[in-house]
Amino acid sequence: MSGEVSAAGRVELQQGPQGSAQDDGPFTASQLARLDEALTLSSGETGLTFSVYVGELQAPPRAHAEALFEKLTDDSVLIAVSPGQRLAHIVTGPGSSKRLPNRACALAALAMRASFANGDLVGGIVTGLRMLADSAGGR
Amino acid sequence: MTVVQTLLVFVGIPLGIIVLLFLFTYGNSLVRQPNRYRPGRAWTYEPRWFVPHPDAVVHDTGQRQIEAGASSTTAVGGASGEW
Repeated sequence: MSGEVSAAGRVELQQGPQGSAQDDGPFTASQLARLDEALTLSSGETGLTFSVYVGELQAPPRAHAEALFEKLTDDSVLIAVSPGQRLAHIVTGPGSSKRLPNRACALAALAMRASFANGDLVGGIVTGLRMLADSAGGR
Repeated sequence: MTVVQTLLVFVGIPLGIIVLLFLFTYGNSLVRQPNRYRPGRAWTYEPRWFVPHPDAVVHDTGQRQIEAGASSTTAVGGASGEW
């Protein structure tokens, strides 16, 4: 199971199963499994560290997403989704932006939007992860 | 047949059948609320941040890429969308 940071304000990233903390979460067990598989596969294939943030983004949302990203590494890609505000941001860093130009990110964001608008959160995130991994290519 | 019997047969039994059919149809979703997202609805859950399993992300040197709180970087590019 993917690691998870349940509190946005917390600085460190948690890894490994979180046990009962996931019981009252927004996703079912099978959705979490899909998310975990997509994250692990895309990160393993490309060598980039993909991470997914699902929660509210404080205004200005872009700045908040970038602030979250700054806790990661140069080779990271952050997908920040705020279902309440109907916003999604993809953030790349110095290392990952060389392999994922903004055009590729925009295309992935477009595909994610289509799923999100249909109410399919996990499907959209998984699609976005796949498209980003395909654009970035193998390591 | 008394009035009570008449009521039981002609009102009670049909009502019982209706309730039974209702439970068959909607019972499952009454017990177990699907936490499905619908656009436009408020999102009341705590923020969650998912990272890949550490074994999946390995540097060329074999070192883990994500070290909790150890690294920092700056955002360079990306994209955004609304729906």
